[in-house]
Amino acid sequence: MMKKRLISTLLCTSMIAALAVGCGGNNEDDGNSGGDAKSGSDKTTLTMWLPPLDKDTEGNFKPLLADFEKENNCEVKMELIPWDSYEEKWSTSISAGEGPDIGYMYAEMYPTYISSGAVVDLTDMVEDADYDEYLYLDRGEMMGGLYGIPIVTGVPFVLYYNQEILEDLEETAPETWEDFARICEKATKDTDGDGEIDQYGYAVGLNSGDMSNLYMLNSYIYSLIWQAGGDIYADDLKSARFNDKNGVEAIEFFKSLKDYMPENVMSLSGSDAFTTIFGAGKAAFGVTRSSQSQETLFKESYPDLKWDYVTSLKNVGYGTFGAADSLSVMSACENPDLALKLIKYICSSEFMSEYHKVAPGAPLTKTEQYAGDPKMERIVTEDRDKWRPLQAGPCGSEILENLASHIQSIMEGKMEVQEALDESAEFANETLDEYWADNEE
Amino acid sequence: MKKKKNILSVLSPYAYITPISLILLTFVAGSLIIAVCFSFTKYNIITPAKFNGLFNYRKLLRDDKLRLCIMNTVKISVMAVPLQILTSTVLASLIAARKNTFLGKFAKAALFIPVLSSSAVVGTIWKAILNGGHPAVKFLFGLFGIDPTMLLGSSTSAIITLSMLIVWKSMGYYMIITLSSLMSIPENYYEAAKVDGANSWNLFSRITVPLLKPTLILNTFLAIISSMQVFDVVYTMTGGGPSMSTTTMVMYAYQLTFKGSKAGYAMTVSNVLMLMVLVVVLFQQRFMRREASEI
Repeated sequence: MMKKRLISTLLCTSMIAALAVGCGGNNEDDGNSGGDAKSGSDKTTLTMWLPPLDKDTEGNFKPLLADFEKENNCEVKMELIPWDSYEEKWSTSISAGEGPDIGYMYAEMYPTYISSGAVVDLTDMVEDADYDEYLYLDRGEMMGGLYGIPIVTGVPFVLYYNQEILEDLEETAPETWEDFARICEKATKDTDGDGEIDQYGYAVGLNSGDMSNLYMLNSYIYSLIWQAGGDIYADDLKSARFNDKNGVEAIEFFKSLKDYMPENVMSLSGSDAFTTIFGAGKAAFGVTRSSQSQETLFKESYPDLKWDYVTSLKNVGYGTFGAADSLSVMSACENPDLALKLIKYICSSEFMSEYHKVAPGAPLTKTEQYAGDPKMERIVTEDRDKWRPLQAGPCGSEILENLASHIQSIMEGKMEVQEALDESAEFANETLDEYWADNEE
Repeated sequence: MKKKKNILSVLSPYAYITPISLILLTFVAGSLIIAVCFSFTKYNIITPAKFNGLFNYRKLLRDDKLRLCIMNTVKISVMAVPLQILTSTVLASLIAARKNTFLGKFAKAALFIPVLSSSAVVGTIWKAILNGGHPAVKFLFGLFGIDPTMLLGSSTSAIITLSMLIVWKSMGYYMIITLSSLMSIPENYYEAAKVDGANSWNLFSRITVPLLKPTLILNTFLAIISSMQVFDVVYTMTGGGPSMSTTTMVMYAYQLTFKGSKAGYAMTVSNVLMLMVLVVVLFQQRFMRREASEI
């Protein structure tokens, strides 16, 4: 009995010890902590956080970084963070002082990190020649500074169309909103005569269960607002302007297309709508993010689909959303010059020409040759001015999530367009007022 | 030797409870205190918190979104809890009556599988089932005049669908609790009642239900607390939409923290939820005490 009790007590004590060890801090560099560390051989360590950019990002990046590491006597430690927990990982780690030296960030993420001083303004660190070489460097400019060098861009959301359906309707690729609406109307019909519509004009999905609400805006809404001549924020980023007459016109147009969308448009997610409706040949149009390897991918996924695409429709002007996700130097980095050098190397022709062979993408520099599917090349050549990134404005995710939710209300028939946009803009303006009141103190 | 033995006897109970006490203190009491402290600050997780007094609490009062989220949470509780208790009790009774048969054992195991499954996986799979448009699924739902592909698309049906999914996912848990309670009712009570001429309904209403009452009360309160904290299923099935009609309080706090960078205000919202749960727990304790004294 005594022995049993002694063993139990010892076991409990060891559990407490284990708990204390587990909860204790770890001061040793585990490769994930921010700031660059010198290893025993005086090698500088740069940590870099990325989401998965292809099937084996680390495996594809590492060999290409070997020369840089050798030349600069440094080690690049990559950490891949899944997309679905990307922002959470960032915010919790930065607050714990465990952020990276270099991070992959997208437009909605920037405002919070910029205003809290977590990202380095690269304006004085780049040269004019860099603007000449790096084709999209200007798209890293936001909130009055240069906060990143675009690494993934040239893959905007474009309007795909089913060539067979359009041929049957004796139509060609749409150019304007009128063309688009007309074809959508003609395409929506019962093709097998059972009394039920089985072919739609526009494959849209507004359920945000498997993706953020922002995907809905990326796919369908920004393009229309920009084509109507509107935008999300006013130029000074102090108020919202998506409820002006251009914004209202855009959303009215989107609403007018509802009859040509699948009946379960509100239940389907955007990706489901594209794959199960457009991909299955049941809709004239569908929107998804483009890729330089789209021909190859579609051949595998939708072997029977005859398709082409329109980068952007035209109303007052052109416009569709194309991200300019960038690599940024974090303020906690002890060697920002080396970090910037690494970013420039990764985005350079030397690196990207090799990387794009295994993971096709748009050339990022003047000297890099296009290596993707020929059909997609016009996105980065003749159509380059038809797509653009999102305005990076304060409280972006919050304002845009709210806007998306109001658009769902419109499409559900619960609110009128002007009423919903005004309500959403009111929320945006209150949020911005609060933000600027704090940041102009 | 005796003195040594005595010291060990005195210390060992404390040693037994120390690990769990440390865990509770750190992760429950600690986070509770932190949440209350941060609710008086402006905090975005990235930069240090700044004290802002009662600003967040004043904001609560005029937050229409919070009111909507409270309503959604209450709606889920009102729809899910009675069904959870009813179905779990009926199922437990049916299984108890067939406890030694293959069917009884199989049903017990099968009904518990959803409890063991991850809520995120359950949400994703059910979304695919409902939206997949499979003829068999359409036929089954069609028997009740429902088009499954439309269920997640309207504010009214989405929240009902989610509530039903929550019932399906957790009824096995309450069923097992009820079943263990049913098993503990002595067989001779029933035999004596049968001798006195009681029929099945009499047995159920006069013996089973009164003796199950404490378990049913416990299950009810557990179900209420759990339904107030729903997150994963909503996140994967609807993302809180359409039109915020399924955004629960936990989800709202999550969005405020990670989408709105307003962790300070999110903790204020969490404190409201904590108060609501606290009220439920106080009621539960009162009911349980009353039950105990009646017994």
